[in-house]
Amino acid sequence: MIELQGVSRIFPNGVRALNNISLSINPGDFVFLVGPSGAGKSTFLRMLFREDVPTEGKILIDGKDITTMPENRVPYLRRNLGIVLQDFQLLKRRTVAENVAFGLRVIGASATVISNRVQEALEQVGLSHKRRMFPTELSGGEQQRVCIARAIVNNPLILITDEPTGNLDPMISQEIMQLFLEINSRGTTIVMATHNHNLVNKLRKRVLALVDGQIVKDEACGTYAYE
Amino acid sequence: MSLANLNFFMSEAATNLRRSAMMSFITTSTIGIALVMMGAFLLATMNMESFLLQMQSEALVTAYLKQEVSITDAKTLSLRLTSLDEIENIQVVTPEQAARELFSNPDDQQLLQIGITAEDNPLPTTLRMKVKAGSQLQPLLAKLKNEPMIDNFSYGEELFRQFQGLSHLLWVSSLAIVVLLGLASLFIVYNTVRLTLFMRREEIIIMKLVGATNWFVRGPFVVEGFIQGMVGSFLAILVLFSSYRFVLGKLAELIPFFAADIGFEQLFKLSAKLFMMGIVLGISGSLLSLRDISRFSKSTPEGV
Repeated sequence: MIELQGVSRIFPNGVRALNNISLSINPGDFVFLVGPSGAGKSTFLRMLFREDVPTEGKILIDGKDITTMPENRVPYLRRNLGIVLQDFQLLKRRTVAENVAFGLRVIGASATVISNRVQEALEQVGLSHKRRMFPTELSGGEQQRVCIARAIVNNPLILITDEPTGNLDPMISQEIMQLFLEINSRGTTIVMATHNHNLVNKLRKRVLALVDGQIVKDEACGTYAYE
Repeated sequence: MSLANLNFFMSEAATNLRRSAMMSFITTSTIGIALVMMGAFLLATMNMESFLLQMQSEALVTAYLKQEVSITDAKTLSLRLTSLDEIENIQVVTPEQAARELFSNPDDQQLLQIGITAEDNPLPTTLRMKVKAGSQLQPLLAKLKNEPMIDNFSYGEELFRQFQGLSHLLWVSSLAIVVLLGLASLFIVYNTVRLTLFMRREEIIIMKLVGATNWFVRGPFVVEGFIQGMVGSFLAILVLFSSYRFVLGKLAELIPFFAADIGFEQLFKLSAKLFMMGIVLGISGSLLSLRDISRFSKSTPEGV
């Protein structure tokens, strides 16, 4: 599903954010990406949704090389991906339902399809009763659920998420993680960057540890520790 | 573009115009003011042109025949020239008539009696030609030049040349002003759209994250540009033509011989041009600000 072949990213200032990374992630995998701040986790994730491109190497998603993909094809790649970031990135002047519908509107879905899929996605994250509320009227956990609903409304093959519980308390973090597990159980591949030791240690999923741009640990049923 | 997309662009544009009302007002009024100024210059030039044409059509061309041409030959020539499209009528003036007209003053009559007799009258036989309304003078003059019996002719050349020079100058300056004002308003539209773009950066980032194409992101902005251009030009046309009659009336009061007025057809054409210019300004201003949308819409800053 996801394959990295000798991927390096060197920034113009000479910083080597990723250094010769090769790995593959199978369909339906749940992968934690751990490591200290500045290790290259965000760069790694940004490469997966072609927000950034490697200086060397290539990345294949579903067999297609996305590093050489023309700029005008990137939106079509992203329609098969769900992206959830740490800062919730919701449109404050739109209701919960409108925020979730945004992912479908941009691909020109009909009103009926939008209505049905938004309802399904909100039910999955347990927020269908708050569909008419605005993000500012929701708690942090609920806002993150709306982001997740928006990310899964297109039934993506892969869900890429960067510190989704970073701004949430432990209790809410657990709820959010439960939601990701449910999504994963339906066949969606999940790649998650996190600093949350407890959740990683508790769930025992595949763990990739990134330090100074290099993979120092790749462990199935792994733990957070990478030193 | 699907109907759903168009619907989305329209509703987004309407919402955004409402939300950033002040920005929309600035853009619309910039386009409006620029078009009023452009239109005023174009109207002035068109009126000048019309005035010049009117002057030409009222011109009286006097052809001086060669000394040896007899009155009978002059009359034959006048009959032949009357058939020309540009000529309304011709009057043959004999040397005696010309002398009488020249010395019509009672004091001059004495001079006439003293110096000039029928035998040594130096004045040639002349043809006075009235040009038909709406005719161009230059083709007629070209035809007259080829007539062997005609020695030379006069038609108020100096005044004519001055008017033509003025008309040319007005067209050139109008064109320069239209281009300059167009660029200035494009620059202002560009900057206001750029500001709204920054205000809506978050929205654009999310659109790109969920798979919107660049053209989809541009869509609402282009529709906004179209609406602003349309409203701006409509207002400009209203202002321009409501004040046009008034200014024309004032000009007629100030300049007694000023009677120029372009017709309804030309006014309509000018309105259509201004309308198109407004829309082009609105849309191109938006497109120009959105040309680097890919770079602008990165979701996360570059870094580790």
